[in-house]
Amino acid sequence: MDLALSTGASGGLNGRRVQDAAFRGTTRVFAFGVLLLLGGIIVALAAGSLLAFSTFGWGFLTSQAWNPVKENFGALPAIYGTLVTSFIALLIGIPLAFGIAVFLTELCPPRLRRPIGTLIELLAAIPSIIYGIWGLFVLAPFLQSTVQPALIAVLGPLPVIGFLFRGPPLGLGVLTAGIILGFMVLPFIAAVSRDVFLTVPTMLRESAYGVGATTSEVVRHIVLPYTRVGVIGGIMLGLGRALGETMAVTFVIGNSHRIMPSLLAPGTTISATLANEFTEAVSPLYTSSLTGLGAILFVITFLVLAAAKLMLLRLEQRSAK
Amino acid sequence: MSEFTVTADSPRPPTLPRPVARPREPATATQTTPKVVIKDVHFFYKKYEALKGISLALQDKRVTAFIGPSGCGKSTLLRILNRIYELYPGQRATGEVLVDGRNILEPGQDLNLLRAKIGMVFQKPTPFPMSIYDNIAFGIRLYEKLSPGELEARVEEALHRAALWDEVKDKLRQSGLSLSGGQQQRLCIARAIAVKPEILLLDEPASALDPISTQRVEELIAELKSDYCIALVTHNMQQAARSSDFTAFMYLGELVEFSDTETIFTHPKERRTEDYITGRFG
Amino acid sequence: MTLYERRRVGNVIALTLSWIATAVGLVILFLILWTLLRRGFTAIGPGFFTQMTPPPGSRGGLANAIYGSLVMTAVATLVGTPVGVLTGTYLAEFGRGSRVAPIVRFVNDILLSAPSIIIGLFVYELMVVRMGHFSAWAGSVALAIIVVPVVVRTTEDMLRLVPGSLREAAIALGAPQWKVTVSVIYRAALQGMLTGVMLAVARIAGETAPLLFTALNNQFWSTNMNGPMANLPYVIFQFALSPYADWQQLAWGGALLITFTILLLNILARFLAGWSNRTP
Repeated sequence: MDLALSTGASGGLNGRRVQDAAFRGTTRVFAFGVLLLLGGIIVALAAGSLLAFSTFGWGFLTSQAWNPVKENFGALPAIYGTLVTSFIALLIGIPLAFGIAVFLTELCPPRLRRPIGTLIELLAAIPSIIYGIWGLFVLAPFLQSTVQPALIAVLGPLPVIGFLFRGPPLGLGVLTAGIILGFMVLPFIAAVSRDVFLTVPTMLRESAYGVGATTSEVVRHIVLPYTRVGVIGGIMLGLGRALGETMAVTFVIGNSHRIMPSLLAPGTTISATLANEFTEAVSPLYTSSLTGLGAILFVITFLVLAAAKLMLLRLEQRSAK
Repeated sequence: MSEFTVTADSPRPPTLPRPVARPREPATATQTTPKVVIKDVHFFYKKYEALKGISLALQDKRVTAFIGPSGCGKSTLLRILNRIYELYPGQRATGEVLVDGRNILEPGQDLNLLRAKIGMVFQKPTPFPMSIYDNIAFGIRLYEKLSPGELEARVEEALHRAALWDEVKDKLRQSGLSLSGGQQQRLCIARAIAVKPEILLLDEPASALDPISTQRVEELIAELKSDYCIALVTHNMQQAARSSDFTAFMYLGELVEFSDTETIFTHPKERRTEDYITGRFG
Repeated sequence: MTLYERRRVGNVIALTLSWIATAVGLVILFLILWTLLRRGFTAIGPGFFTQMTPPPGSRGGLANAIYGSLVMTAVATLVGTPVGVLTGTYLAEFGRGSRVAPIVRFVNDILLSAPSIIIGLFVYELMVVRMGHFSAWAGSVALAIIVVPVVVRTTEDMLRLVPGSLREAAIALGAPQWKVTVSVIYRAALQGMLTGVMLAVARIAGETAPLLFTALNNQFWSTNMNGPMANLPYVIFQFALSPYADWQQLAWGGALLITFTILLLNILARFLAGWSNRTP
C-alpha cells in the first residue's frame, strides 16, 4: 500500500481530524454538562429561597416557628432534627461498621469473605422507603414495647443525660429515626472501611503479628492509624447520606415542628418536612421557605461530602506513592 | 587487557558463550539508500533526557536489532519511529527521522497514515476483544474499501504469512482472546502486516512466549525480512545474533556501537559492547 | 491480672464485639427480607399485576404503578446512560493533564451522594413550574440526574482498567482516536460498563423522593408522559401510611416486588463483574 505521507489518501486526513475533534468535543460538552448541573441546582435553590430569606433574614435559621397559617416559618427545628438524627446514626453506625470491617478483614474465614461482604453491601442497596415501612411497622412497635420503656426506666432518672429519655414511649420519634438511619449508613461506612483496611500493606500487619500483637492490637495500633484519613472520609460519606435521607426518616420521626429535649419525642428533619409538606404548600412564602430548607440541606451536605472527598483523595495520593 | 587485577583466586563473572552470528551477505551503507535515517534524535520524558543524540540508518529488507540493558532507551527509540509517544503528554522528541527522505517528526503530519505505514508488535500480545477475523480486518477496514471476498482473501493472506492460518482457519469467528499466548502474538503480527506496512517495529515480540513459540516467531521474522524493513528490540542476544543483519548496542540513552551483526558479536570495537555481550553486566 | 492476661481478655472482648456487629448487620438484612416476605407475599397474585390501584376498601392491584415505574426507569436509563458514558469517556481518555477533569470528577462524586430530594426540588423548579403541571417526563429527568453520576463513575473506572497496551496497539495500526475508543476500548470494557448501568437501574428503581414533586402520582391508568404518572414508591408511601388494611396489604406487596427486583439486579451485576474480571 503506497501511502503518501503528506496528503491523506481519499481525503482521509481532514475527515479523520474532524471525526476525532467531534468525538472529543462531544465528550467534553457532556462533561461540562455535569458542572452545569451542579450550577443549575445551586441557582435554582438560591432563586427559590430568595423570598424566604428576604422576608425573615438570617433569623430564618434560628427561628423555631412553623406556622403555615400565619406564614411564619423558621428552619431551626428541621435543622436540629437533621443534625441530631444524623448524630445518632453515626453513634450507632460507626461501631457496628467498624466491627464488621474488622471482621471481614481479620476474622472471617476466606471462603466466606465475599458472600458476607456482598450481603452487607446488599443492605446498602435496600431503598430508603423499605427501611421506612420496616421501621414504622416492625422497629417502632418493638422499640415502643421493649426498648424505650427500658431506656426511660434506666436512663431517665440519671442526672446529666436523663432529660434525653423522658416522656411517653411513642415508638416514633427522633431516636427511632436515628436508629434507622444508623442501620442505613452502616453498610456504607463498613464497605469503605473494609476497602481502606485492605490497603494496609500485608508486610506491615504481619510484622505486627510477628512480634506477638493480638488481633485487636494490630487493628488499633497499626491498621487504624494507617487508614485514619480514609476511615474518616468514609464516615463523612456516611454522614452525607444520613443528612439527606428522606423516606426512612419521614415514616418514623413523627413529624412535629417542635424542638423537644427528649430523644423519645417526635421531631422533624429538613428532608422529612420537604417530603410531607411541599405539595401542600399553597403560598409563595411557604414554598420559598421549604426551598430555603432545601438550600440549607444542600449547603450542609455539600460541605460534608466535599470534605470527605478531599480526605479520600489524600489517602489515594498517599497509597499511590 | 583488563583494568582489574585478576589473580587465580579472584571470582570471575561467568562468561557466557559468545552468540554466534550467521554469516550472511554484508550490506553496506552505500549499497542501497536506507529506508529510515535517524539524525541526532533526543527524547525527553518531561525533564529527563532518555535518548541523547542517536544517529543511525535502517536498511530496507533487512533486520536491525537493538540490544542493551533495561532502561537503555531501545524501546523508546522504537516508539519514536511511529510517534506513538504522542499519546502521552510530557514526552517529546527532537532531531530528525527521515522515512523515504521525509522527516516524520515534522508537525502537521497525518499521524494515522504514518502509523498505517509503520506496523508495530508489542511485547505482550494484545488481541482486540473481537473475533480473529475482525482482529485482522480491523486495520484493513480503516483505510481500504474492499468487497467481502477481497477482505477475506487479505485476512487469509495475512494469517498465512504469520504462520497461523492452519491453526485458526476453522475458528475465524471465535474471539482472539481464546488463542494461546504464542498464537495471540502471531495474530498481532498478522494484524500488523495485513495493512501492508513498509516498516515493522518489533518490541521484544517473543519475550512473553514459551521457547517453541519464540522459535516460530523468529522463523517468521526471517521470512518477513524479504518484504519489510524490520527494527527488532530484544534483550535476548542469541536472538539478535541469529535473526538480524545489523545490530545497535545502546547504553544509558546513547548509541554505543552500530555495525553489521557479525562484527558486533565477533569483534566489537567498543569495550562496553564487549562487556555486555559476554555478560559482564546487564 | 497480668498484663498478658489483660491483653488477651481485651482481645477476646474486641473480637467478640466484631462477631456481634456482623451478626447484627446480617440479622437486620434478614429481618427486613423476612418481614417483606411475610407481609407482602399474600398480596402478590395475578390481580396484583393487572388491576389498577383501587379506592380504599375495594380490591385492586398495582398495575398502573408498576407500569409507571417501568416506563420512568427505562426513560431515565436511556437518557442518563449516554450522558454518563460520554462524560466517563472524557474523564478516562481525554482528561489526562486537563485541569477541568479533576473538577468534573469531584463534582460528579458530590452529585453521586447528593440528597435525592434536592434533585426532585431542582427538577420541580426547572420543569414542573415551567410546564405548569406534574409529569412523568419530569420524573424521568429527575431519575436520569441520579443515573448519570453512577454511570460516569463506573464507566471511568472500567475504561481505566483497559490496559494501555491495547490502546497503543490500535493506535499503532493507524486508527483515529475515536475509533480506538469506540471499537476497541468500549468493547473491552463492555461488561463492566453494563454492570454500572445495572447498578444505576437498581438505584433508581427504589427512589421515592425525586418523584414526590415531579411525577407525583395517578390513581388511574395513564400512559401520558405529559401528566402525573403512578409509580411504585409513591404508591407504597401513600398506601402504607393510610389506615386501610387493603391499601397496606398492597403497599407490602409493592415493597416486596421492588426490594427483590433490586436485590436481584445487584446480585446479577456482581456476578457479571466477577465474569469480566476473569477474562484475560
